[in-house]
Amino acid sequence: MNALDMVIFNLMGALTAMVPLVLTSVGAAVSERAGVVNIGYEGILLMSAFFGAIFAEMGGNAWIGMLGGAFIGMLFGMLHGAITVYLKGDHIIPGIGINLLALGVVAFGITAVWGTAGQHQVAIKMAKWYTPYGPVSPMIFITILITLVTHWVLFKTPLGLRIRSVGENPEAADALGINVEKYRFWATVYGSLLAGLGGAYLSVDWLGTVTKDISSGRGFIALANMVFSGWNPINALFGGFLFGFFDNLSIWVRTNPSVQNIVPWQFVATLPYIVTIVIVAGVIGKVRPPKADGKPYKRE
Amino acid sequence: MNGKNFLKPFMESIIAVTIGVLVGAIVLAFSGYSPLEAYKALLDGALGSKYGIALTLSSATPIMLTGLTFAISARTGIFNIGAEGTVYFGAIAAIAFTAAFANPLMGLLGGILFGAAWSLPAAFLKVYRGVHEVISTIMLNWIAFFGALYIVLGPLANPNDPNKTISVPESARLGLILKETDLSWGFVIAVIAALLSYYLLWHTVLGYGMRASGYNERASKYGGINPKLAIIWSFVIGGIMSGLAGAVEVMGRPPSYAISQGMANIHGYGFDGIGVSLVGRNHPLGIILSGIFFGMLKAGATSMQIEAGVPLEMVKVVQGIIVVAVAVPGLWDLVKNLFGRGRQ
Amino acid sequence: MEEKPLIEMKGIVKVYPDGTRTLKGVDFSVKKGEIHGLLGENGAGKTTLMKILSGMLKPTDGRIYINGEEAAFKSPADALSKGIGIVHQHFTLVDVFDALHNIILGMEGHGLFSKIDVGRAKRKLQKVMDELNFQVPLDVPVENLPVGVQQRIEILKMLYRDVDVLILDEPTAVLTPIEVKELFRVLNTLKEQGKTIIFISHKLREVMEITDRVTVLRKGELIGSINTSDATPQILARMMVGREVVLRIQKPPKEAGEPILEVKDLWVVGDRGEKSVKGLTFEVRAGEIFGIAGVEGNGQTELIEALTGLRHVEKGKVLLNGKDITGKPPKELYDLGIAHIPEDRTNMGLILDMSVAENAILGLQWKEDFRGPLDSIRWVNVRKHSEELVREFEIVVPGIDAPLRSLSGGNQQKLIVAREVSKKPLLIIASQPTRGVDVASTEYIRNYLIKLRNENKAVLLVSADLDEVTQLSDRMAVMYEGEFVGVVKPEEVTEEQIGLMMGGIRI
Repeated sequence: MNALDMVIFNLMGALTAMVPLVLTSVGAAVSERAGVVNIGYEGILLMSAFFGAIFAEMGGNAWIGMLGGAFIGMLFGMLHGAITVYLKGDHIIPGIGINLLALGVVAFGITAVWGTAGQHQVAIKMAKWYTPYGPVSPMIFITILITLVTHWVLFKTPLGLRIRSVGENPEAADALGINVEKYRFWATVYGSLLAGLGGAYLSVDWLGTVTKDISSGRGFIALANMVFSGWNPINALFGGFLFGFFDNLSIWVRTNPSVQNIVPWQFVATLPYIVTIVIVAGVIGKVRPPKADGKPYKRE
Repeated sequence: MNGKNFLKPFMESIIAVTIGVLVGAIVLAFSGYSPLEAYKALLDGALGSKYGIALTLSSATPIMLTGLTFAISARTGIFNIGAEGTVYFGAIAAIAFTAAFANPLMGLLGGILFGAAWSLPAAFLKVYRGVHEVISTIMLNWIAFFGALYIVLGPLANPNDPNKTISVPESARLGLILKETDLSWGFVIAVIAALLSYYLLWHTVLGYGMRASGYNERASKYGGINPKLAIIWSFVIGGIMSGLAGAVEVMGRPPSYAISQGMANIHGYGFDGIGVSLVGRNHPLGIILSGIFFGMLKAGATSMQIEAGVPLEMVKVVQGIIVVAVAVPGLWDLVKNLFGRGRQ
Repeated sequence: MEEKPLIEMKGIVKVYPDGTRTLKGVDFSVKKGEIHGLLGENGAGKTTLMKILSGMLKPTDGRIYINGEEAAFKSPADALSKGIGIVHQHFTLVDVFDALHNIILGMEGHGLFSKIDVGRAKRKLQKVMDELNFQVPLDVPVENLPVGVQQRIEILKMLYRDVDVLILDEPTAVLTPIEVKELFRVLNTLKEQGKTIIFISHKLREVMEITDRVTVLRKGELIGSINTSDATPQILARMMVGREVVLRIQKPPKEAGEPILEVKDLWVVGDRGEKSVKGLTFEVRAGEIFGIAGVEGNGQTELIEALTGLRHVEKGKVLLNGKDITGKPPKELYDLGIAHIPEDRTNMGLILDMSVAENAILGLQWKEDFRGPLDSIRWVNVRKHSEELVREFEIVVPGIDAPLRSLSGGNQQKLIVAREVSKKPLLIIASQPTRGVDVASTEYIRNYLIKLRNENKAVLLVSADLDEVTQLSDRMAVMYEGEFVGVVKPEEVTEEQIGLMMGGIRI
């Protein structure tokens, strides 16, 4: 492989790796624009990867798996929304709970469903285009489409205006007759639904396998990407490509013997996480979260 | 603390545990197992024998310590979920220090030092750059995982079995409280750590300032407290607890006294600790109780797998449901309203 | 009764969950097409009454009639649909949105998923603006606009919804004199268009200038309504301030001693970057109470925060006993002998989730009495100290281990006073020391401040309660827009004169 091929190969890989990050970041951006913080995306990715694979194998179709993943995401979004929006609970703790639950459910489920410990090769594969630089999934285009549509809705339509208003100044929105709880709840559900789609993509499409740690911190990297992109879906697409590049690079280097001899693979594997911290530390103060982000709203 | 203030959180934890057990039973039934059989096997394994009880307590040891990490930060208004990574470095430090000095105290010291050191990046990122601690600590957990894996497979690798580390020398191990069980003096260390944490939070001026700034940053500034310093201390002291968790685990848990392949024997304690702390209502004394409860689940998991054929990860499902239930605000009031509607 | 009132509120009572009775059976009526002033001091209940009329609060008791029909509002949107809109003192704008989107929010037209027709909304708004002959930039984020413009956007937001009744809560509080003039012109134009306007204010001159009729409230009660043409500022001032039931305050004459606190050309900037304190110079002497009166929001908060180390001093000097203490942190100031009773009891002075005993040492925790070896808290001493405070100040508590939240407002405040006094300070800075406090506690606290003065302490008292300042102070200043309108001896001025000064008129 010559140098140019290698570059193209890795850029293509970044497109593949960006999908779950972008979907989750875009979903998180909508949720936080409405004022609901959710740190449970890591768990939602994990559970949707698992259930998505089950749905795909039961339905005999990768797309059923994708929808199943989104459905699971939606359910957990409803749980999170019920606790934070309607019961006015803390926004962080339910997310921690969902993440812990996912660790158990997936580890248990893999054994209970397939009888294997910790890993299962998914029988159904997403149809892709095969190029000399690796496969290209239709999900890449769907992700871009979802991002663009979400961006448009968020910034150009009454729905988007209202979502943003309840996350910035719920008092102002309430005074004008906007149902703060309703918009917050469904924005939360939408965010988790996209994460669920991203989770199913991990197992049914990209990696073709379910493992008990398949999400590998991507739920949190996606949150970092959301901050980096200033809660803006189109920026999150580019940010997701950047984070995806390092994600893919670290996987590629790990499996590339010629590089392994120079740098221990473990050090390369830390790259996405170090990049995340550096970028977030660098960008904070320059971006501004929605003003009422993470704050329960109760009328006087 | 008077009885009334204590009762409500206690009852909420009991309700959450009940919900966890019940929903767990439903999951078991749906997965084709007998819930009764599974829970019976679990209780049997965890409490049915001297060995089982010892296993419960030894399983409680590291997660009590990591629970303290979360609790101390939570009391300061911080969500430190970086115990997981800190445990790895605590374990590594214990192995390295005991390899050099062959003394248990040096091993514990290593765990303390490395634990404190690894907590600093997240503390400084929070205080000086405003990076949310949830993101930074999770990223640091992954960095710790791969960094520790490199050390396990490299500098500390066992020449006879390169997938695991060298063992803690016999003279540096923590002795067993009960012979031919897993229960070492590490359990006592964890209980003492919980008592000291309680003392720190409620009986020192530093702990007073930490709690004050956790409740109300503005009022703490008015009271002459520096909230930034309080946050840094909460990270450092929390880090010490997790560092100790790693050290105690490799120095006190038979038979290997080493970090095993893929770090499997020190993996997951950080996250278990969050659950322990939340169910213990982020109170060190509550953590002793909930730590033993979670230890019981862990200890019984193996016998549940052997006797009832249920994958041992099932207990993590129960743990997860419990924590989600704990996150529901006003659980006690909800239940009271549900059952007390007819009254009054 | 020449015509039926447009709005009639009858016997309105509001009791907050903590037991505070803000409105004690108020009647209020407004005629169609008038500008109606609602006048009263802070705490008179003006804002509460209007929050009830605009659907933000539910009254504990009483009825509201619109055009003779009874109305019960569940939400602000409910009141809006009945044609009643309010512009709050603190604007409810989404900072990052431009004016256009702030205004159309909630009635964007078409379906939720269709593109917002910005052009159409702009044209409609332009028409409204042309009719009123004022302009606001429609496509700049409102946070980048001056407050005067933000206020116009709030007014436009209401007009876009075709309100008949526009309530303005202290609309001039944030405006410059030129902006006030412009606002008044707009209000008169609206009146010509047949709109009804309720103008909440405490500024006499403005009420005289703009309103047709005035209703005066005092301490939650209706004092009366009067046609503005029949009123003079003096009459209104007397109605507003009134002859209070005088609390039993004994204040023997006393010569003031050496200056304890000296403030020289102090400049302080507020949260939004505005100049809040503009070059104040004054001193507080040993054995005197120096009072600062004035309507809230004229820089008092920023002044106190700067003096107590909680806010940055832009320019100027602060001396305590001749020693420069400018910019020192709170802990050092406490050690040097400053005690601070903060205005925000629940967010600053106390930690509601901690116990009475723990709160009794906030700011004292490192003193030798309470801090033992190894940084330990000497709980025995802390408990003894708390019990002493509770006993000495007659604080009603379920127990010193009870969470502070369980105390009544008056007892919470007494605990703060007790704790601050126990610091044995040279200077006590007391900010709104009796706000929201019951009568008995109020009397206790006021007498205690006198006692401190008699013991030769220096007391700096800031209060929006005029009676409090005039009764307690040896000397007093009236603060207005970051400056002192005058420094006087309370016994040498009339209440009317002080009322005028609070409205910004120098005498």
